Amino acid sequence: MSSDAAGVPPAVLAGRTGVIHDIGYRQYGGQRLGRPQIVRALALDSLRTAFGLGRGVKAKIFPALLFALMCLPAVVSIAAMALNPGNGQLISYDTYQSTLRPLVLLVFVALQAPNLVSGDLRSHTLPLYFARPISRSDYPIAKLIGFTMACLALIEVPLLILWVGTISQVHGARAVWHQTTEFGPGLLYGAAWAVLLASVGLVLASATGKRVFAICAVAIPLFVTWVLATVLSHVALHTFQPVGSGAEPPALASLAGLINPFTVLNGLTDWLGSAPKITIFRNFGNGDGPGQLHQAHLVGHFGPLYGVMFAVMLVAAIGGLLARYRKVGIA
Amino acid sequence: MTGVATATAVQEWRPAGEAVIEAESLTMRYGATVTALDQLTVRVKPGVTGLIGANGAGKSTLIKILLGLLEPTAGHAAVLGHDCATGGFEIRTQTGYMPEHDCLPPDVSATEFVTHLGRMSGLPATSARERAADSLRHVGLYEERYRQIGTYSTGMKQRVKLAQALVGDPRLLLLDEPTNGLDPAGRNQMLELVARIGSEFGISIVVASHLLGEIEQICDHLVAIEAGRLLRADTISSVTQASSVLLVEVDEGLAELRAELARRGLAPVEYQRGLLIELAEPQAYDTIRDAVADLGLPLTRMEQRRHRIEELFRADPTLTEMTGATSVQ
Repeated sequence: MSSDAAGVPPAVLAGRTGVIHDIGYRQYGGQRLGRPQIVRALALDSLRTAFGLGRGVKAKIFPALLFALMCLPAVVSIAAMALNPGNGQLISYDTYQSTLRPLVLLVFVALQAPNLVSGDLRSHTLPLYFARPISRSDYPIAKLIGFTMACLALIEVPLLILWVGTISQVHGARAVWHQTTEFGPGLLYGAAWAVLLASVGLVLASATGKRVFAICAVAIPLFVTWVLATVLSHVALHTFQPVGSGAEPPALASLAGLINPFTVLNGLTDWLGSAPKITIFRNFGNGDGPGQLHQAHLVGHFGPLYGVMFAVMLVAAIGGLLARYRKVGIA
Repeated sequence: MTGVATATAVQEWRPAGEAVIEAESLTMRYGATVTALDQLTVRVKPGVTGLIGANGAGKSTLIKILLGLLEPTAGHAAVLGHDCATGGFEIRTQTGYMPEHDCLPPDVSATEFVTHLGRMSGLPATSARERAADSLRHVGLYEERYRQIGTYSTGMKQRVKLAQALVGDPRLLLLDEPTNGLDPAGRNQMLELVARIGSEFGISIVVASHLLGEIEQICDHLVAIEAGRLLRADTISSVTQASSVLLVEVDEGLAELRAELARRGLAPVEYQRGLLIELAEPQAYDTIRDAVADLGLPLTRMEQRRHRIEELFRADPTLTEMTGATSVQ
């Protein structure tokens, strides 16, 4: 049958597009895939879209830059270890780089989540999906799986680089084992980051079909609450006058992080992870002593609340996403 | 139809079989006030069927129920032997749907888009590519299929919409206003294409349209609905025999002609800038010709009127009703 295409006169191909040629119709007798495989195909397509694969060069620029930026700390850490064999690694597996990671993910999610969902909303393509053998919720679920995989790649590949680079430089099975026991939980925290940010990003991006508005719909709430949470906890920490020998940070500093996914994820790691991450400076308020530095967990004893908030945000985002696509018109 | 024998389990109601579409007392209400479909009972046989009705008559609602995307308020429907309430997946595997409105992304090529939707129809990657290429060729898109859809004309976009409905090798195509937005040439090409798919590809087609002229050209059967109710379901030929009305236009002397025709036993009715004359018998043509010639009037048009929806929607259209209905427009 493929010879039929070649049989069309070139003159016709060049000029008259309206002519219909008798090339025969062939029925499809081959395999038909079921719902799970269709969802898988859509998820993989979404993953590719998130990195601009199969699109033009322009679509690849930002994902590639962000990916390179995300890998940079791992590479620097490995290089530093190589140059100074005495050094330990500079960054941890669980929080990675605590400012860079949220920043890169903020930009990635804000730019790419709209690419996955707002196009189909804007062009009213969804009826074409719903008229196919999948269910209403399969579309958002496939998009979520695809975008979670994209975020996972962005988060976990640098960790993998860090782990491979580090174990290649440490000596002895014990050191390698130690690295691996830290790497494992790091991967799990990374997965928590990926699934929460992907679902929050998609539910916000699916609010509108206009890409620019969708970018704002993702970026503004995430950024504003992040800044607010960070500022609040900093202010609370710096105006904090601890009395006695208590090592807990003020409640406001611990609770401020609950309003933003990034700080919730950091709080989750802070609660479950081992090392205290903040330093509380205690000078007892009379200004004449050198004071005292104290290591503490930022979440204080509110750690479980961060676990709950993580679950609440995740359920709300996924539920919102499913509800969004149940409501969308099939006109 | 092969799918008929494997009808899915239905509680009490069971589709009879040989029809591609069956609806029984199908009712769809939105809220308390809007009734889109009202006790619609109809059977659609294999072949090309026109689904005709004015905008808002319930055509699109019916299509959505048939695809299993909307649950009817009451009644039953079956497509290819599958109950729409329970067999949505089977129906959507075997049915291609072309929506009325614009539904194409501007920033991908037709090939990519149709291939992707082929995959969404359950085709493996390689088959999806092959069938996308085939479908686009069938609808007459060649080199331009590698261009972004945003650069296409309306006619080309309509072809892509048809190609995506065709890509999954459906047994039934549901086309919602396929000629929407096309110029007369594009309209004819699209209609030829639909007719060809119906006759040569062996795919049953339901074409929803508000233009009877189009349905007349390509369909074997016709289902007319108005306000969600079945008006007529019949073969095209039996419907087109129903009425014959001639429109006569003269540059001047309309009143004289009207008087003259009335004197000769016809019942002309003024309509826009001409006269509408019901033709009871073939000699009426001669009578009109003679009247115009005797009066020496400049005849500009003498035309067999195409049926309008409003005519069809009256079992026995009279000219007064016709002019009344059209002057409202």
